[in-house]
Amino acid sequence: MAVTAVAQETLCALRRQIARIEGVPAARLEPPADARRPQPADDGATVILRENGCAASLPEGMRMGAARVMATGIPDFDTLLGGGLPLAALSEIVAADTRDGGAAAGFALALALIAMADTGARDRLLLWIGEAEAFREAGRPYAPGLAATFGLAPRRLLFARARRLADALWIAEEAGRLPALGAVIVEIRGNPHRLDLTATRRLHRRAILAGRPVLLVRQAGMPEPTAAPVRLHVTAASAAERMVLDRPLPGSIGRPAFTITIDKSPTARPGSIAMEWNRDDQRLQSRQPPNPGLVVSPSRQRPGAAPAPRPRLADGRRAG
Amino acid sequence: MAAAPAERAPLVFTHRENNTERVAALCETAGGLGLKTGMGLADARAMHPSIEVVARDPDANRAMLEGLADWCDRYTPLVAMDEPDGLFLDISGCAHLFGGEKAMLDDCLTRLFHQGFAVSAGLASTPGAAWAAAHHGHEPAIEPGAEAEALAPMPLAALRIPPATREGLHAVGLRCAGAVIAAPRAPLARRFGRDLLVRIDQALGRIDEPVSPRLPVATLSAERSLTEPVTGTEQVEHLAGMLAASLKPALEERGEGARALELALFRVDGAVARIALGTARPLRDPALVRRLFHERLAALESDLDSGFGFELLRLSVLASGPFDSRQSDLGGDNGKVTDSVAGFADRVAARFGSGGIMVPVAVESHIPERAVEYRSFIPDRPANPAKDYDGGEEPGRLLPERPIRLFSNPEPVEAVAEVPEGPPVTFRWRRALHRVAKAEGPERIAPEWWRSENDAVRDYYRIEDEAGRRYWLYRSGLYGTGGETPRWFMHGFFA
Repeated sequence: MAVTAVAQETLCALRRQIARIEGVPAARLEPPADARRPQPADDGATVILRENGCAASLPEGMRMGAARVMATGIPDFDTLLGGGLPLAALSEIVAADTRDGGAAAGFALALALIAMADTGARDRLLLWIGEAEAFREAGRPYAPGLAATFGLAPRRLLFARARRLADALWIAEEAGRLPALGAVIVEIRGNPHRLDLTATRRLHRRAILAGRPVLLVRQAGMPEPTAAPVRLHVTAASAAERMVLDRPLPGSIGRPAFTITIDKSPTARPGSIAMEWNRDDQRLQSRQPPNPGLVVSPSRQRPGAAPAPRPRLADGRRAG
Repeated sequence: MAAAPAERAPLVFTHRENNTERVAALCETAGGLGLKTGMGLADARAMHPSIEVVARDPDANRAMLEGLADWCDRYTPLVAMDEPDGLFLDISGCAHLFGGEKAMLDDCLTRLFHQGFAVSAGLASTPGAAWAAAHHGHEPAIEPGAEAEALAPMPLAALRIPPATREGLHAVGLRCAGAVIAAPRAPLARRFGRDLLVRIDQALGRIDEPVSPRLPVATLSAERSLTEPVTGTEQVEHLAGMLAASLKPALEERGEGARALELALFRVDGAVARIALGTARPLRDPALVRRLFHERLAALESDLDSGFGFELLRLSVLASGPFDSRQSDLGGDNGKVTDSVAGFADRVAARFGSGGIMVPVAVESHIPERAVEYRSFIPDRPANPAKDYDGGEEPGRLLPERPIRLFSNPEPVEAVAEVPEGPPVTFRWRRALHRVAKAEGPERIAPEWWRSENDAVRDYYRIEDEAGRRYWLYRSGLYGTGGETPRWFMHGFFA
């Protein structure tokens, strides 16, 4: 996957061209120094913002919102995405198999929680809209599990089961106006015709105006053109072992882990990163490599020994 | 009530009685030919071979009568069925809206005539007298107090008494209602039972006869009758908003808001459509009501047939609840329900029926699929730390490992285990083979013996396959207990 410098240059030129036509400021290829700072919108004087074919200026809040990114907390991943995932945007999360429905939903929830923490909306509600078929094939969201894995209290959860895709899209668009929501997850199955560029563009616009993410989780689907600036491909990854008393417990299943492959992003940089969800800190982190543990047991009495580590609790939290 | 005849062959309706086809109803032409209800079909055919015979359909008859009752809702909310062919309308307090009792009766009869019904009506201060006037009277209206006088020349059947009693009265020489009314009461009661006296008293208004309406009467309702029928959905919405505005003062007076609303649309041709919707929190703002009906009508668009238009609209409050008034801030948009989740849930429910937006509610049960219920949205849910799984906010509590997605019906898998009581090594689910890389468990969950004795003990395992996907599998039943062979099920996905 070696992209030569010339090819990269050509790509950048083309992207600037597209940005000018679309009237959207081109995202930078390098991550900004401070990922949370809104990018200056007047990136180049040649960029004309167009709306319905006419040059128009976007409302200030919208422009800021569109440019704002949320750092996922994994530097490599954020660099590949150009600073982080767009905060107020439609982001697509694709799982190739129904079996990966757990991983895809888990990753979407992780992103939703990060976004809610990022916008200071920790007590806002999370709306999870699903096609009835998606809930039937991959199971319904299970509140006790969401509480145990993500620390999401049931009273912060709203579910909508839509019989048809059109209903799901209607609910998602209607939810766009609600300030009480912190994030919206729309789960669909396969590649329905109705979810075309126009439909996703509407969702994207609602997300921009509301200033919060709409996460489109696609089960058992193929990548197809949508208006979402970012598309991530999720597969489950083997979980690291559970840490018990500061050492891994062999054969145990620890934190939820995912392998995320960037399919589409403003920077167009491909990459695949394994990460895991840390419930206690409410953040994503790189998946820890299998810890070999202590090879030699250190002598307790040796001079200059480090103070005894604080005991860790069974689920990996530090005591105290 | 019989359908008005057209220029066609005499029509009779038949029903089966004691293995014989008998005439149940007939048209006027057939009546004019000397046919009678109750005669055998064979006799009728012998007299007039040209008659057209249709089997009676009681269900269709009933549906028709219910449709008519719906239509009669325009006159009064108290409409009762009098099977098989009558309706009672309690018009107390309604007549002045139509310009008096007489005008109301004329209006009703004219409209029904134009719809093609041959109707006879009776108007009296007691249901019994009105029934008698409708079935056996020459004059539809009976003045209050003149019941006995009006009933006197009528046949015994006008008293709504069973045929056996009628025959008995006939045999003792009491041939008309007046004679029975004038007869001494004690011997009548002794010989024919109390029911006869009850019927007489009911007809004369000595005792009350309740008319039980077929639909619950709304606490509040507003209606608007239109000179020019409307057909468009937008017009209906607009009118619903106007009706809601006229209901608002009454709701304010009661300190209540509507929890359930019904919009009845009376079509020009007599059909009545009823659109009901519920709300998550009591509301009285006309704009919001209009908005909810907008969603409902949008969802109904194909099902709601406006035909030649609606001529009467009525908005009723079927259920109401206390309305908590809130002080709005100086901006004026505080507590605006449009932006609230409750309003959103209402709009979704209005469009897709109840159960649009659901919230999980913890239930006291350790069986995973019963531990949580999904209910439709309730505003202002109080935080319940005992029942809410507030794991994230209550650091001291360790929650059991549970999947984030659960199958409502556990799906059977074929599993191969190294030892009978151990976790599986491979399993086949939805035709795909999964090799187990890691397994944690078992977590044994016993059935709730107070519910069912047949449920088996479940041993749950958290399983990670070679691709890293995490599943929740359980073995139902135990080996060596002599029962059924234990089987494996897939119950959920972990993140």
